[in-house]
Amino acid sequence: MGGDDGADREPGVKAVVTGAARGLGEAIAARLAADGASVALIDISPDVTATAERIAAGLPPGAGRVTGIAADVAGEAACQAAISQADAELGAIDALVNNAGIGGPDTLVVDTTFGDFWHVLQVNLGSAFLASRAVARLMIARATGGAIVNLGSIFGQQAVPGGAGYCASKAAVALLTQAMALELAPHGIRVNTIAPGNMATQMHWDELRSRARASGTTFEEQVDRVARSVPLRRHGTGSDIAGAITWLISADASYVTGQTIGVNGGAWLS
Amino acid sequence: MAVPGSADHITGGAAGRAGRPGVRDQGPAASRMAGRRALVSGGASGIGLATVRRLRAEGAQVVAIDRRPPAPELARETAAPFLVADVTRAHDVADAVTQASTLLGGPPDVLLNAAGIYRMRPLLELTPAEWDETLAINLRGSFLVGQAVAAALIDASLPGAIVNIASTAALVADAAEPTAHYNASKAGVIALTRQMAVEWAPHGIRVNAVCPGVIDTPMLRLMDDPVAGQAYLDSCVPLRRLGTAAEVAAVIVFLASDDAAYLTAVAVPVDGGSTAI
Repeated sequence: MGGDDGADREPGVKAVVTGAARGLGEAIAARLAADGASVALIDISPDVTATAERIAAGLPPGAGRVTGIAADVAGEAACQAAISQADAELGAIDALVNNAGIGGPDTLVVDTTFGDFWHVLQVNLGSAFLASRAVARLMIARATGGAIVNLGSIFGQQAVPGGAGYCASKAAVALLTQAMALELAPHGIRVNTIAPGNMATQMHWDELRSRARASGTTFEEQVDRVARSVPLRRHGTGSDIAGAITWLISADASYVTGQTIGVNGGAWLS
Repeated sequence: MAVPGSADHITGGAAGRAGRPGVRDQGPAASRMAGRRALVSGGASGIGLATVRRLRAEGAQVVAIDRRPPAPELARETAAPFLVADVTRAHDVADAVTQASTLLGGPPDVLLNAAGIYRMRPLLELTPAEWDETLAINLRGSFLVGQAVAAALIDASLPGAIVNIASTAALVADAAEPTAHYNASKAGVIALTRQMAVEWAPHGIRVNAVCPGVIDTPMLRLMDDPVAGQAYLDSCVPLRRLGTAAEVAAVIVFLASDDAAYLTAVAVPVDGGSTAI
């Protein structure tokens, strides 16, 4: 339970962040490490080890351990092996951030192959299921409790043309979150989703370049159009998402579970 | 009127550990809210009081508003000036915000609208006067205080963060809990929150709400029958316990902090997972 001053907090959070070689995942891992956590970064890209070394190099002496593991968390065996390795290297995982994800093909449903559609579901939804299952089994066996945070999206809350697979995958993550929250609450494991809005990430810039090409406008016009559509008049940053995730992992969210919380500058329902 | 208060009660951070805000291994920094000027309506009890304490512990200056002066020991313990005001009266609110700005050295850049009432009454017995009273305190009060604070901030070209207290009762109905007037007032608070957020976002003012579930405060009626109360917790609250006012305050202070810089127009349930069922 949370106290007035957080005095009940335990030392040494051990966190796993998937999809952490770049972008939001890197920002989340960097913030957790800067706050004193030990962090295992997992990514399909072998660049993840360099990312982990870069984060570790910026930490003060006595900081937690930061390690990078190259693995495809959308594959059952590979995900299990990566979680086992992270658990061994960190000690015992008590927080998981399911950030791994892809944007999908940006094609209309009538032009989308089943393989492309299914691949988005497999990566975005499948990886969250696999990593959560692996980590929850460890937490239950140790009776330590813990926190899982999934990355949803504003596009899992409202649809966008050309994003059927992505939207469906992120909406599914929100319901997976609720189901896992109910099942894991008796074990002291909280599960929540952060739903970012329009983020200043490579994934979003790629999408805007694609939109600019399709509409005969410039990339800069597309960036400006999106920023103006957001009440706070800007794109979100990795730091914005990391701030919300560190809160959800902490005892300051001890009575929050099963929720999908938008971090979108006010862009949804406005 | 400031009850115990003088400006020297509200300067300086509370004693506490150093460190960064965020993960639980370090706890909240005493400095996370340093330099922030906070106003809390309904600050004499429940979630309002817990938030006064938490804001103080994190280094904010705090002024509280309540209908009645707090007990002297409470005023001493929180070390926050209490202003007596009725949030349903525009004149009271204007005076209180002006006084608070003087005490704080500027317009409040953190506002918690926690003043509220909760009365059970089946719809067929509910009188227009009871309906009006609940709507006035819970919804009109949040509007009046929010408007006065936002006007002062915008006038001074300052950013800020407002947190309103809604309820899970705004999201779900419960035949066993005859509180239509309360539920409607809190649903109104969510709509008010979203509209405040989009109208004031260009001024750098963020507005969010929390939706507490069953929280152990003086307002709670669930545990009046302990057996039925525990049965409710076991079947309707995945975490199978009441929440504490301090747990809700922790979410409120997060929403007011820079860690929530990109959050606005959201309503966050703090309910042990009850709305996930």
